[in-house]
Amino acid sequence: MLDSDNAAFIQTGVSISLASCAVDRLPCMSRGLGCKLIAGGHQIAIFIKRSQSAELLDNIRNTGRVANVFNLPSSNRTLQLKGDDAQILPFDPADLPVIESHIPHFLDEVIPFGMQENMVRALFACTVDDLVTVVYTPNAAFTQTPGPKAGDPLGTAS
Amino acid sequence: MSLRLETIRECLEGIIPGHIATCDRAGMPNLAYLSQVEFIDNEHVALSYQFFNRTRQNILADSPVRLLLTSHLTGAQYRLTLHYLRTEAAGPLFERMRAKLAGIASHTGMAGIFQLLGADIYHVLNIEQLPGETVPPPPPPVNCLNALRRTVDRLATCNTLECLLEKAVDCLEKEFGIAHLMLLMHDEARGRLYTLASRGYPESGIGSEIPVGAGVIGICARERTPIRIGFTNSEYAYGRTVRDGIAADGQADTLETAIPLPGLPDAASQMAVPISVAGRLLGVLYVESVSDLHFGYDEEDALVAFAAQLGLAIVHHQPADDLPDEPAASEEAAPAVAGTPLTIRHFAATDSVFIDDDYLIKGVAGAILWVLLSDFAERRRTSFTNKGLRVDPRIRLPGVSDNLEARLVLLQRRLEERDAGIRLTKTGRGRFSLAVDHPLQLVES
Repeated sequence: MLDSDNAAFIQTGVSISLASCAVDRLPCMSRGLGCKLIAGGHQIAIFIKRSQSAELLDNIRNTGRVANVFNLPSSNRTLQLKGDDAQILPFDPADLPVIESHIPHFLDEVIPFGMQENMVRALFACTVDDLVTVVYTPNAAFTQTPGPKAGDPLGTAS
Repeated sequence: MSLRLETIRECLEGIIPGHIATCDRAGMPNLAYLSQVEFIDNEHVALSYQFFNRTRQNILADSPVRLLLTSHLTGAQYRLTLHYLRTEAAGPLFERMRAKLAGIASHTGMAGIFQLLGADIYHVLNIEQLPGETVPPPPPPVNCLNALRRTVDRLATCNTLECLLEKAVDCLEKEFGIAHLMLLMHDEARGRLYTLASRGYPESGIGSEIPVGAGVIGICARERTPIRIGFTNSEYAYGRTVRDGIAADGQADTLETAIPLPGLPDAASQMAVPISVAGRLLGVLYVESVSDLHFGYDEEDALVAFAAQLGLAIVHHQPADDLPDEPAASEEAAPAVAGTPLTIRHFAATDSVFIDDDYLIKGVAGAILWVLLSDFAERRRTSFTNKGLRVDPRIRLPGVSDNLEARLVLLQRRLEERDAGIRLTKTGRGRFSLAVDHPLQLVES
């Protein structure tokens, strides 16, 4: 689903958001702290805080449907992925370096916009036992970079 | 609702973009980033509608809406549950959002791409703060509520319009710490705003004009709503917009262009607040700064409250001449003066007045000055009343809402700045005197 360019893009200093809807259509979302590609690049693993995501996790358990947005502040490049097979897995502490290396990349993106580093670090502050991993297979991808092509589906590639 | 929206308004400024989640009829979620959330009141916000995208389609298909907002000051995150009510594509809210979006677009490299199509209004059903680490917010640069209280106290000591205007700009500078500001009055008959006081510019610009509807100040006046922009942008650069507006409406001859408009050429933050009383626009307060996001919701609230107080005080000081005509303190004719005569030239078509070929003023203030100087030249008259001016057929004041007192202050200040030896001095309620240091030669053109 993802070409190598977009696969690399979602692992840069992007802002990440993950959403799912309840059966009554009420959506809920949480901020992602980092992500990685698994299953040979066919699946995406997103790391979120359990304490902020009880409702989101319930929705994922009930529907398996997720929307996942990646936005790079410096360029406004934005990508939305969707999937309908999302699963919740325990966080593997071996993935902690993924989050730890994401933070300085994100700081590089937002400090020029006037963000304070201590505030950004507070956003990403977490404990391993509060983390959870959501894994899904993207089955649709859309560019959401503001402009005339916003919302267009990406062509399937690789 | 446990949290009041007014306490987390910094999250709405677009400094950290909010996230919006919706759901289609089949139950598939959709996420997008928000450019802008506008505070309306504690139960309502407006979101900018810029593109007909999946979010928009879902909203029109009755999707519940969730926002995730983050405070750039503390890192606190808030999840809001919203219900869509309606879209406005014109009017004060729309113009407020359009101006703010122009600044955000410019700041984020999206100038020309972000265009506001509508202001989507939502009912806020719930606000929930997410658990998580936060940092203490930095102290605000000014305690706006306390600055307002001190300002209101100081305005209450004034007993003339002139004192009121002076105190008003002084308080904005000293109590609110605003370094660059203008106070403009509304000329209803001509659809113009004229600068009556300013601070923080090399030239005061007193007497300079802006058409209603042009730039930040003109749109604020037209829509009677505060306009606040946080980042440098060319779309609302009022100097240029004013010139464009003049060319477009073909009124270059009637707009005051000889006096340059003061202003920062590189303003990043701009805010214009209307001064209105009983549905009537009296003028506009304009403040600006070279810093990004210099004025927030708290400053806007304080200046709106300040403008309301100032407006009532201006009205209070306007009708002084409706009081019974006091006996003149002195009707003595001025003694003759010697020296080089001043040539005062009057162009009747525009009521423009020139002193020794240097432009001074036009319009109503020009007509008033010509009458005063004509009476002085004919009868050595130096004592005048507002009431007398109001009924003088030579002046043609534009009716009840003539702001005569403000026009006299304008004329007085222009004369002071010109320093040509002609002065107006207030001598009582609705009374003033004229002093002329040189012989006059009046020329009607």
